[in-house]
Amino acid sequence: MNQIRTLLSRLASLFRSRKLDAALDEEFRSHIDLATEENIHGGMSRQQARTAALRSFGGVTQTREAYRNQRGLPILEVLARDLAFAWRQLWKSPGFTLTCFLTLALGIGVNTAIFSMMDAIILHPLAVPGLDRVVTIAERQTGGIQGGAGASEDKQVSFANYTSWQQQSQSFDNLAIRSYVTLSLTGAGDAARVQADYTSANFFAVLKAIPFLGRAYSASECLPGHDDVALLSFGFWKKHFASDPAILGRRILLDGRAYTVIGVMPRAAQYPSVAEIFLPLAPSQAQLANRVNHDYMVIGRLKPGVTAPDAQAELKLIAARLANQFPASNAGWSVNAQPLLDSINGDLTPMYFRLTLIAAAFVLLVVCANIANLQFVRAISRSPEIAVRAALGAGRGRLLRLLLTENILLGLLGAAGGVLIAQLCLHFCIVAMPDSVARYVAGWSNISLNGRALAFSIGIAVAAGLVSGILPAFKALRFNLVDQLKAGSRSASGSRSAHRLRDIFAVAQIALSVLLVVGAALMCKGMWAMLHMADEFQPKQTLTFNIYLPPARYANDTSTAAWYNASLERLRALPGVQHAEITTILPDGQDGWMDDFQIENHPLQPGKFQSATRLTVSSGYFSALHIPILSGTAFPAGSSHGDAPTAVVSRKFQQKYFPGQDPIGHRIRMSAEAGHVAPWVRIVGVSDDVNYLWVDRSTEPAVYLNAAQMPPSEATYMVVTTGDPLAIAPAVRAALASLDPTVPLDAVETYQQSLDQDLAGLLYVAAWLTVDAFIGLLLAAIGIFGVMANSVAERSREIGLRMALGASRRDMLGMVLRRAALLTGIGVASGIFLAAAMARLSASLLYGVNPYDPAIFASITVAVTAIALLVSCGPARRAASIDPMRALRTE
Amino acid sequence: MGESKSDVLQGTLDLMVLKTLESMGPLHGYGIARRIEQVSDNSLILNQGTIYPALLRLEQRGWISSEWGTSETNRRAKFYSLSRLGRKQIEEETENWERVANTMARFLAPSN
Repeated sequence: MNQIRTLLSRLASLFRSRKLDAALDEEFRSHIDLATEENIHGGMSRQQARTAALRSFGGVTQTREAYRNQRGLPILEVLARDLAFAWRQLWKSPGFTLTCFLTLALGIGVNTAIFSMMDAIILHPLAVPGLDRVVTIAERQTGGIQGGAGASEDKQVSFANYTSWQQQSQSFDNLAIRSYVTLSLTGAGDAARVQADYTSANFFAVLKAIPFLGRAYSASECLPGHDDVALLSFGFWKKHFASDPAILGRRILLDGRAYTVIGVMPRAAQYPSVAEIFLPLAPSQAQLANRVNHDYMVIGRLKPGVTAPDAQAELKLIAARLANQFPASNAGWSVNAQPLLDSINGDLTPMYFRLTLIAAAFVLLVVCANIANLQFVRAISRSPEIAVRAALGAGRGRLLRLLLTENILLGLLGAAGGVLIAQLCLHFCIVAMPDSVARYVAGWSNISLNGRALAFSIGIAVAAGLVSGILPAFKALRFNLVDQLKAGSRSASGSRSAHRLRDIFAVAQIALSVLLVVGAALMCKGMWAMLHMADEFQPKQTLTFNIYLPPARYANDTSTAAWYNASLERLRALPGVQHAEITTILPDGQDGWMDDFQIENHPLQPGKFQSATRLTVSSGYFSALHIPILSGTAFPAGSSHGDAPTAVVSRKFQQKYFPGQDPIGHRIRMSAEAGHVAPWVRIVGVSDDVNYLWVDRSTEPAVYLNAAQMPPSEATYMVVTTGDPLAIAPAVRAALASLDPTVPLDAVETYQQSLDQDLAGLLYVAAWLTVDAFIGLLLAAIGIFGVMANSVAERSREIGLRMALGASRRDMLGMVLRRAALLTGIGVASGIFLAAAMARLSASLLYGVNPYDPAIFASITVAVTAIALLVSCGPARRAASIDPMRALRTE
Repeated sequence: MGESKSDVLQGTLDLMVLKTLESMGPLHGYGIARRIEQVSDNSLILNQGTIYPALLRLEQRGWISSEWGTSETNRRAKFYSLSRLGRKQIEEETENWERVANTMARFLAPSN
């Protein structure tokens, strides 16, 4: 009780200290006066009385001090005083303060920006409550006969299986199902092709996503005939309907069918990231009972307490039960449950950000080394001051607090600057990313300054400052008081080990920045190679766009083939067009669809897979892209739908599946599309290899089918022009519209533009790395400068002595430069060594670049060495210009 | 602090101040210090200034309260007086002291 009252009184008095001081003085004065009076009564003279009174009072200052300590909260007051002192000290040495501030701000800012992006994109891409409780469920074939479509083994789910799981599984609060399709949107602005996802009503319950306008559809609307309602995604609502607030109730036509918009999903719950419209999944009876067609995707929210492995085990059991029950459809099928987060982060995203993260970590290291160095030097230069304070009675704790207050203040200042820089970085990042790429990156719209990331970066930077400030502080505290005071107050120099530590820091900085710069340079060279990997196909001269022929109007192959023929004819007739061809896959693109096939008279052994990239191209494809035909022929120009189907295979195909033989004349059969029987196609030619998946530089075998014989329902047109491809885009639209105005064109852009978009992510990373590298280089240069300048300042007396003893200015210059060269040499050498090791480790990420590229290594060695030496010139010149008389006299 | 004469424990000084105020009524700082000197028969001549931190401590604990007033010689001075809590504290402290004194007396008595 007493303590509380005391504490309250102490706190209260903090705010009234001046008034209380005045009152105390008055009380002391009255005390002395009273005492003086009594003494005068006792017979002393006025003078004597006063002196006696003062003497019996005791030390006024000490009493006042003791009183104040009793009255206020000494700790807070001391802290306030220390902070003020630290602030003044920082103000007095602007060079040190500014350097530290910039270093910290840059390091903290850039890192926070990167961590924030990582957090939003990889760790929390969706604002789904309890994201870790949501799993995707796919079916898998165990001991499958057929190879897999695509690279993964997970296949989609059949509807009846999903229903069985729903009925039999106990692990889920909700299991939802969806499928997706691309539809034509009309009746609301421009015609467009949109990705529409059909979902069950509880899809939104699984994600716990609530529409921010309107409502989601209910189970009663997921029945055939009642399902003409639609939900828009936030991005689509913004892009296509300009965020029209009166969107609810609007009618739109999707593939000719009318739907009413009943709601808009929130920005943060964008799953799947490319879905633009959500429609109720209303399966017919036939679809419900279908166990064979694996056309759906399933997600589920685990019940509380159930883990994903538990759920997977249970589902596996159910799958086994189903396999027994329905051997025809389910034999050999099992289940794979995976957290949703894992499936969102595709193959490439982690790689991008791992790279950037590593670079950021390095910058942080350089920052820490820099700060450490600066703090170290400063702490040593303060050791005379510490000695004086200790002599005046300051305890160890007090001294430590004093030394560290400055570090902490700097840390806070740097953090404030870092926040600013982080905001700027993030803003710039978001603005610079093309929208068409951003929509594939889940969580892109969620990027914001992340508190955790900020705290982490600040923590690291401040910790670095603290630790490096403490080390010399401890040293300083163990000093010999007398020696310190004797040794000259102005020029304090550290001990041998302090020197070595500083040198180590400088070397480390150089090494790290070399590492950074080499990494960035290799990346950039790789980027350059990638940007030009498709140059042989004249991407800047080629206009590309996608066409989808609605099956309602193009129901059979004849009409589809006729369309392609007619359209290609018209396009080729346009002025400035050199070639017009179609393909289903663009080279060096995102799509490397692998399909299974069989070779006639070469039955497959069980368990073996046989697949190749499958694409359908028009007859002039090979000549338009200058792909040489190595043997046989390409497709003849006049082939039409009735002819026996032919195919061209790539060189890899021949090497893999017909080693040492001639494949021409053999027949293969690709896997069938739904509802079709796949025909046997005869191989008529072998073409050179072309890479279709830009990420995977090992070219896969390819099979080219003839578009005239087996016309696809959708294709990409490639129109090679002599001039600017975009300039003829209106003519192209007109030409195709004159054929059939209801066929929409999609993604009209140059081939180069679509390539750039694919690479946008990698470009980003390269840009970040370059920024990081420059920052690292800058910081290293500053660090070297600091070390050299400090060393010169410390040794000024020694230098003065040497010059007095006959050394010339040139000798002194040489001495400093030699030292700088030694440090630089060691730093660069270790940096190069580290860079080579790192290059070997990340060789897989550097496409088209030799990880040990001698040009890069050599040029960076030279550059960094030059910078380091240049930076040392300043201090060297200062050393040379020291006036020996002045230096020796300064004590 | 300038402790030039005998050591005086903080707690005992507090009790002395309280007892002084109890017997003398409201008094200013100088008066309290002089009174303590007199009562202890001048064997305890402390620096009078040390009274002030003690007075502040007592005031923080709520055992005494203070008020500006005028002395007999028409000087402005700060007068301290005992509070109810203070009186209770005196009782407690006196009990403690007597217990300690009795126990010590037993030890110091000549053994029989």
